[in-house]
Amino acid sequence: MSVDPEGKKILVIQTHGVETPNRTYSPLFYAMAAAAMEMEVLVWFTMDGTNQLKKGAAEQVELKPGSGVTLKTMLENAMESEVELRVCQQSLELFDMTTDDLIDGVDILGATSIIDLALNADHVMYF
Amino acid sequence: MSDNPEVRGCVLPLSLHYSVGDHTWIRLEDDGTALIGMTDVAQNLAGPLLHAKPKKIGATRKKGRPVATVESSKWVGPVKSPISGEVVEVNEAIKTDPTIINRSPYKQGWIVRMQPSDLESEMDSLLTGQAAVDAYRERIESEDLKPCEHVDGFET
Repeated sequence: MSVDPEGKKILVIQTHGVETPNRTYSPLFYAMAAAAMEMEVLVWFTMDGTNQLKKGAAEQVELKPGSGVTLKTMLENAMESEVELRVCQQSLELFDMTTDDLIDGVDILGATSIIDLALNADHVMYF
Repeated sequence: MSDNPEVRGCVLPLSLHYSVGDHTWIRLEDDGTALIGMTDVAQNLAGPLLHAKPKKIGATRKKGRPVATVESSKWVGPVKSPISGEVVEVNEAIKTDPTIINRSPYKQGWIVRMQPSDLESEMDSLLTGQAAVDAYRERIESEDLKPCEHVDGFET
């Protein structure tokens, strides 16, 4: 028997960044799928995943050349789908990034927040 | 004047009622139900569809809530209902061949049949006829949406 997805919470943790394009699209695609199924979806960017959110970075990543679908497109589509994007404050500092370096629409949270989010999610997907 | 005018190659039948913001349409049927589907613009933006999952019969939906999810290789998202009501029939054909929606978004590719619950007040938010075409033209041009391509044929 299938589970009714409506209203459930999914937390997606993304640890990969622009150096590994083939690990960046799918987590966002799954997040959008979950949002389309009326789930509450939050993507948490940490470790190398943080650099996806640096202004000017995601536009340079096009997993399938010639497709016109860049990583920036994926991030924008996710936000339009009401997927919430959050970034780890400690990771930002580790990579010498500040709020001003981030694309619009991303909030910064600390390490305790990710633990709260994980505890409150119905399912966590880790990439 | 054509009953099926085009904007950048995207067909927009005058007889339907549109939620331009959500790229959806409804067709009012004689029995009081309404068919709901994606517009030509929507199927073109999504590209060839790989999966379509309509909500089950009996599901009640508020206006703006999904009546289906659709997926292509590059996009996945909801088909938001232009009206409130209960799903009374789903198009089984699109489950096995969702590209029907690409080829025939306004006929064979309808998605669900809804029994409206608040049609009278909600119809005001939908556009039809030339007003719908004009509103869609404004959206297509302001967002610079790509022209519709019907490489696998098209049924209006």
